[in-house]
Amino acid sequence: MSQIKAIIADDEKELRTYLKAQLADVWNDLIICGEAKNGPEALNLVDTYQPDIAFLDIRMPGFSGMEVAEKVADRCRIVFVTAHDQYAIKAFENEAVDYILKPVTRDRLKITVTRLKEQIEVSSVPPSDLPAIIERLMAELKANQKTDYLQWIRVSSRDGIRLIPTDEISYFKASDKYTLVVTGDGESLIKKPIKELYRELNPDVFWQIHRGTLVNVNFIDKVSRSLSGRLVLKLKSPPETLTVSRTYKHLFKQM
Amino acid sequence: MIKYRQELSFKEALTVILYTLLFNTVIAIVLTYFLKPFWENFVFSQCIGILICLCMLMIFRFITTENPLLWLLTILSGLLVGSAGGFILGAFLTEKNPLVYIRQYHEFIRIMSLGLIFGTIITYFFLSRVRISQAEDRIQEEKIKRLTSEKKTVESHLKFLQAQIEPHFLFNTLSNILGLLDTDLTKAKLMLTDFTHYLRLSLAKTRESTTTLSQEIDMIKAYIEIFKARMGERLKYKFEIQDHIGELPFPPMIIQPLVENAIKHGIEPKVEGGEIIISAKKDQDFLRICITDTGLGFIEQNNNGIGLTNIRERLNSLYDDKANFEVMENVPCGTTVKIEVPIVTD
Repeated sequence: MSQIKAIIADDEKELRTYLKAQLADVWNDLIICGEAKNGPEALNLVDTYQPDIAFLDIRMPGFSGMEVAEKVADRCRIVFVTAHDQYAIKAFENEAVDYILKPVTRDRLKITVTRLKEQIEVSSVPPSDLPAIIERLMAELKANQKTDYLQWIRVSSRDGIRLIPTDEISYFKASDKYTLVVTGDGESLIKKPIKELYRELNPDVFWQIHRGTLVNVNFIDKVSRSLSGRLVLKLKSPPETLTVSRTYKHLFKQM
Repeated sequence: MIKYRQELSFKEALTVILYTLLFNTVIAIVLTYFLKPFWENFVFSQCIGILICLCMLMIFRFITTENPLLWLLTILSGLLVGSAGGFILGAFLTEKNPLVYIRQYHEFIRIMSLGLIFGTIITYFFLSRVRISQAEDRIQEEKIKRLTSEKKTVESHLKFLQAQIEPHFLFNTLSNILGLLDTDLTKAKLMLTDFTHYLRLSLAKTRESTTTLSQEIDMIKAYIEIFKARMGERLKYKFEIQDHIGELPFPPMIIQPLVENAIKHGIEPKVEGGEIIISAKKDQDFLRICITDTGLGFIEQNNNGIGLTNIRERLNSLYDDKANFEVMENVPCGTTVKIEVPIVTD
């Protein structure tokens, strides 16, 4: 059996050094051919040295450990290293992916090393289903993460670009070429049209109630029917009322 | 002050009309005790009552004046118009020529005055009901507001307790210390000292509701030092604190989560790292604090500002909406968070 090579990727220098020392202790003929301090560097190392094993920290600048794994899983075995990632650890257990927790303990590392040695003895190439496993992991973790809905609205103000979290926006209203952004403590104008906002905002939170109005449902205080039969929304803040156009009346049917 | 204009919903208006019909019937029955045929009383009382009621509904719907005198006049003319209209309508329905009543004017005056008296009583009744329900609504609102703010305080306490011993931070720091024990004892000791200092300060602080600015800054220094030891050259930091403002009171756990955000979501995920600047200065009656980082911006991260909303709400309740909290894009990159609170002097 030829010499087995590995790389270590972690953004914190001390942690790389520590893992390297621990590995030297429990697996002294393992060659650490490179250390990376971010995602892109880790990818480079794999390309340059073709290691058998990659120890990847999950949270790294550039690409995360998971993203690196996705790209190299067909070429080397992966061991994830993490301080604490609840969802990830659960997912690893389901998929039987190897991982170690920081601070790395000698005993735990020994188990991983024994497992790796056994696997490499059986076959020098990583299992062919590894890329598929990593892909499933990525999908599972993405489902647990925040979705890609718009979270911030950029608004120009007196002294620069202000960022308003969408959670704090009461409603958007089309006004000429602009869109009015209304929060509990003020109004601003942005250029993004209602149509575009509607596509990018979380549809469970922002409802279209009029051709030119999107309302944050968390800001609705009361829904009532006016004398003319229109639905009227009373807002918590600012204390205003909005009228629902007939086209969107059905949204409030169950209420 | 009572709001004169009432947005009555369709349902509410319907209830008012139903009540009016009921009152009218009661009035007709009572009147039959003094005056002859019941049906005639019934028709007049319904006509007058309904017309007054419609006038009042119109007034509430469309009259927007805030002037009490003007409003009272409107109500009075509504009563008059309703009574007169109802009288004419009643006369037609009982197949009498209303002109007959002009000759028997005492009859006309009697019906009109009965209409006005009962109209006034019933209008007054509805008005006080509205006033009472308005007052109740206000009390309810106050209560909800108070309870929500209490709940938020407890929640934020819990959240901050969790944040200080945030597992990722805790275990990464411990791993670092463990690693340093083999390679650099002095640095390990230093880091352990900072960590202990930070934990002691932050745990003590969550139990107090007011602390001074210098206490807060002290804790943040320990916190950043830990990150500095871990991240090395990738993290730079600067404190720009004006002299002699350290003893000003400042609530705990406002700056710390913002610094944490800046490092965790701004600088740590950025390959080349970045700088964080914490500045505080007194500007007349306000204390201005800025936390600026040159990391990845919020937009780039699409990071939702859950912690930020919590901070804003806490500032609002602590300073009675006189505090200012703004998130800005930093030039050329990163984020600036600006806090402005009034200086409270006892």
